[in-house]
Amino acid sequence: MLLTSVVLVLREVLEASLLISILSAFSGVLGIKRSWIGWSLLFGLAGALVYSFAVSTISDWFDGVGQEVISATMQFLIFLLLLLFAFLAVRDRNGQQGSGRMIVPVMIMMVSVAVAREGFEILVYLHGFSADLPRFMTIVSGAVIGACIGISVGILIYYFVSALQGRLLWIAGLGLLSLVAAGMLSQAVLLLIQADWLPSQLPVWDSSGWLPENSVTGQLLYALIGYEATPTALQAALYFGGLFLFLIIAVLSVRPGKQYP
Amino acid sequence: MQLRAEKLFFRAVLMLVCIAPGTGICAERPVVEIEIRDHLFWPSEVTVPANTKVKLLVFNRDPTSEEFESYELNREKVIMGNKKAVIFIGPLLPGVYPFFGEFNPDTAQGKIIVE
Repeated sequence: MLLTSVVLVLREVLEASLLISILSAFSGVLGIKRSWIGWSLLFGLAGALVYSFAVSTISDWFDGVGQEVISATMQFLIFLLLLLFAFLAVRDRNGQQGSGRMIVPVMIMMVSVAVAREGFEILVYLHGFSADLPRFMTIVSGAVIGACIGISVGILIYYFVSALQGRLLWIAGLGLLSLVAAGMLSQAVLLLIQADWLPSQLPVWDSSGWLPENSVTGQLLYALIGYEATPTALQAALYFGGLFLFLIIAVLSVRPGKQYP
Repeated sequence: MQLRAEKLFFRAVLMLVCIAPGTGICAERPVVEIEIRDHLFWPSEVTVPANTKVKLLVFNRDPTSEEFESYELNREKVIMGNKKAVIFIGPLLPGVYPFFGEFNPDTAQGKIIVE
């Protein structure tokens, strides 16, 4: 009971926590105030509330696959915003004026959508037990523990990335974000396959015997890099395509001959 | 006469779409129904054909929400109380694919047997 809620909430919190920690490390080097985190959490929670109230209706859309379509759209949006972030951040790093202020709304929107998507599931889960107070308290305690572990992992990643100097920080930070972006794209594809909007195929590989998705490492890698033990060819292709696109954008945004902070 | 020609044309297009591999828009998907009652899946074991896409209809008869989840099937979907969910699975290789209710994993367990 307790363990279930720890694991469930941890899984949901981890993804948003990683995103916030990496973006926060970038805020440090770009000289952006971290007040965007508070706004993102606020908008994200509001979004999660709206989504959890509307989910019964949304589920019936598109012949019963509305949930998949909405969720995939949100993940695709996060993917696009990550690409935009890479472009703006790298330009900002080169001392380009003007793009710096645009990066804040991009981060707020990205994190809000991520928090809304993940938070919705936690709200629906918690609400299901609200009638039974003793059980509810157990569930909530588990949820708090899970959230704390997720946030701690995020803080660890934040200090790890922030501790890097100069060029190394950019490589590690953008490298991590590129994996998150690719994971988002591949998850969006998976949801559309589940909705039967995209053709389904047999998996291209099966690494579940070697690294099961439900193991601790598997879960962590799922949140961090979108790890799948049995992806289809389409999913794998878009994963690596997304990764490539992100890195190309990051590299092309570099203006040669500029001084880096 | 013209109407008939039109009808024929549509039928031809429809047939082409059906034949086109991978699209499978018209392919008849076998439907499998599962119910959730008292945080249990009924039936908890279902058998589906191999290499076929199957439409899974999950009826949640409980007032509380549940999340259908399976690592082996790569599926995850929240089903609100007293609601129905559509989940497409497959094509799958023969084998056993466990699934569970993520909100009540102690009791809500099931498996899909692919033959």
